[in-house]
Amino acid sequence: MDDKRNSLLTIGLVCAVLLVLGVADLWNSDRVYSEAENRVLASRPAFSWESLFTGEYGDAYEKYMSDQFVGRDKWVGLKTRADICFRKKEINGVYLGADRYLIGVNDPDEYTEQMENSRVASLTKLVNHWDAKVMLVPTADNILTDKLPAFAPYYDEERLLTKVRNSIGEEHYIDVYHALQEHAQEPIYYRTDHHWTSLGAYYGFLAWADSVGRFPYPYDVNGRKTVSEDFQGTLQSRINVDWTKDSIQYFPETEKKAISVTYDFTDTADSLYAPDYLDTKNQYGFFLNDNHAFIEIHTEYNPGKTLFVIKDSYANSLIPLLTTHYENIYVVDLRYYNGKLFQLMEQYEPEQGMDVLVLYDCIHFLEDFKYY
Amino acid sequence: MVFSSVLFLFRFLPIFMICYFLVPRKMKNLVLFLGSLVFYAWGEPVYIFLMLFSTISDYVWGRLIEEYRGKDRSRIFLLCSIVINLFILGFFKYADFLMQTVNAVFGTSIPFLNLPLPIGISFYTFQTMSYVIDVYRGDTKAQRNILQFGVYVTMFPQLIAGPILKYHQVERYLQDRRIDLDAISYGAKRFVTGLAKKVLLANNLGLLWKQVTELGTDQMSVLMAWLGIAAFALQIYFDFSGYSDMAIGLGAVLGFHFPENFNYPYVATSVKDFWHRWHISLSTWFKEYVYIPLGGNRKGLPRQLFNILVVWMLTGIWHGAGWNFLFWGLWFALFLILEKLFLGEVLESVPKVFGRVYTLAVVLISWVFFALESPGEILAYLQAMFGMNGVGPVNSLAMFLSNEYLVLLVIALVACLPLGSRLVHALKSSKTGPAMALYRLGEKVIPAVLLLLSVAYIVDASYNPFLYFRF
Repeated sequence: MDDKRNSLLTIGLVCAVLLVLGVADLWNSDRVYSEAENRVLASRPAFSWESLFTGEYGDAYEKYMSDQFVGRDKWVGLKTRADICFRKKEINGVYLGADRYLIGVNDPDEYTEQMENSRVASLTKLVNHWDAKVMLVPTADNILTDKLPAFAPYYDEERLLTKVRNSIGEEHYIDVYHALQEHAQEPIYYRTDHHWTSLGAYYGFLAWADSVGRFPYPYDVNGRKTVSEDFQGTLQSRINVDWTKDSIQYFPETEKKAISVTYDFTDTADSLYAPDYLDTKNQYGFFLNDNHAFIEIHTEYNPGKTLFVIKDSYANSLIPLLTTHYENIYVVDLRYYNGKLFQLMEQYEPEQGMDVLVLYDCIHFLEDFKYY
Repeated sequence: MVFSSVLFLFRFLPIFMICYFLVPRKMKNLVLFLGSLVFYAWGEPVYIFLMLFSTISDYVWGRLIEEYRGKDRSRIFLLCSIVINLFILGFFKYADFLMQTVNAVFGTSIPFLNLPLPIGISFYTFQTMSYVIDVYRGDTKAQRNILQFGVYVTMFPQLIAGPILKYHQVERYLQDRRIDLDAISYGAKRFVTGLAKKVLLANNLGLLWKQVTELGTDQMSVLMAWLGIAAFALQIYFDFSGYSDMAIGLGAVLGFHFPENFNYPYVATSVKDFWHRWHISLSTWFKEYVYIPLGGNRKGLPRQLFNILVVWMLTGIWHGAGWNFLFWGLWFALFLILEKLFLGEVLESVPKVFGRVYTLAVVLISWVFFALESPGEILAYLQAMFGMNGVGPVNSLAMFLSNEYLVLLVIALVACLPLGSRLVHALKSSKTGPAMALYRLGEKVIPAVLLLLSVAYIVDASYNPFLYFRF
């Protein structure tokens, strides 16, 4: 009798897991987008006899069920915890570094010589055309090397930067790599996000000023204002467990004088910052209202001076610091802008000329930069 | 459909089981048959007709063989059945391989068929062949009930990855089987164990193997090469034996008793012993239906060696249509022949540990032929294993990967040994209070925990985000 009860209990437990979750999943409504994973989830595939016969329907349906499975985010978190128990240091493309630092993995084999050469060639063309300055910001794995897991491989950006420097010439190259390396012990990168912090951007700003030979606006580095203390960025989303929280800060001096910002030729604002984003998952969007194809900024500083920036999202926290040096700043993000870059630049170039700045992190530069 | 998917675990399995247990005993075969067709059709709708054709064809040949038993015609019918089965297998599995070879040898350019391989075809054609041969030999009666025969061929638990059931092993369960609580409980535990082996161990070890092979061999240190092939060896063992566990478990729940397919192969003390422990249902199939009919060991040593050679060439290409698989089979034939000639005696006279090390070395090297396809890749990998590519014994990536996978590898290694099952057995057979209580508790908690963990890994396996979608 005792044996029978035991068997029943074992069967009951396994059945309970399958049935409870199965039924709960039936009631679970579909999501279009996963905030936590930052991607569009598979939706119910359209049925057709043809797709059924080819087996496509069956495959798509499996993908759909797994993407929309009840409590998906919780399962992803459970898997991460199990991986951590296995002492894994790399989970879903993120290194679990020392000091609670999450560091994005950039696989050295992914970025080929050929890729480097073609990007550097386009960059050199742009630099020669426009006498541009170039700031390619190293990602955290190259700077926070002491926080990486032991023997962790990473793509060597210093080698890329040497190549860039040799190709475009010393006078066009802003050495942000060594500037950041000097401050590697300070919080210059977020712990949970792939971007640099405002402090990191500030050191980038100093390197810029040094390179263009200007006296930098005297920002008070200790007077940064904190707008959020519960930022959990893209790297955290990838591992989906409660890891740690970052704070987001900005330099209040950037708001001293009136400013006008126009996004994508239509929406106008009177601030460089968008506090609305602090209530969403994407808190980094606080800077320059997240990503836009084209941004136009007008200030009350340095009449007649114009800057044209070609950039990715790393620039969003640095550009506010540059507003104290230019009357007009034009910003283009090539991932979102569909027109011809060359034409756009000619269109906005004033008679007395303009400064041009290329500002990317090294990885996005390799993945996205083009000049056409 | 595969077992390790959300669709199978949370839709197919509950719905199927509810139907299966609700219908009266007479209807169970029908439910099992229809369920199996749905299971198979999910990924391969068209090939279901091939499977049904095979079923009907061998049902008819079986009946005819019996009808004309003792007459010449019965031998002709057997031949027909085997030719059809081998033709199906040859056409779908080996045609392109053959043409490739012909093209290479004669410089012709016969176009390839490029047919996708029907899932499970190597398993079910072997099952139906075992049936007609058993009937011809008079070892069993022909099945009159086509539904029962259909269940034998199409049954979803073992359809796509074995074990290969010989007809005489399951005949009585096709006709009548009991629902037994103990068997269901055992089956549930066995299924979850298999699922965990596949999802928690095999898939993650596979990741390590993938990471190693994606590197060029010009970056592969000795440590990395051995780490990689060990990961592959463990992956294929846990994957394959995990599938067998799931099949055996599901079979037990449904009232069947399937034969064991693996018996801790990596503790084998000789290559012969290894093949008594690895994919047992396949090696016994070849033994019963090829090796022994060829004369086995009854016709003198030269003939026996020849028979070994034939069986292992066939075993090799059964695993895939490619020269590397043929070579893989011959590699084992070589050591089996050596063991037959003298090595076996030597191994028996020395401590077992030598036999184990030798067997592991033979098997690990064999996985290189198995896992990599082109001779170039295979050679480069072997060179890396023996430090002949100039990279050196260790590099930092090898250190990183060994750190990364150390815990998993240790768990996997322990799980390869019969320690766990001995512990369970000891706890179970002890009559004392605490040990028994521990067993009782573990028996309920461990499957539930393994199941939940497996679900987490299954759900997340599709977790492959396009990160910068909005950045």
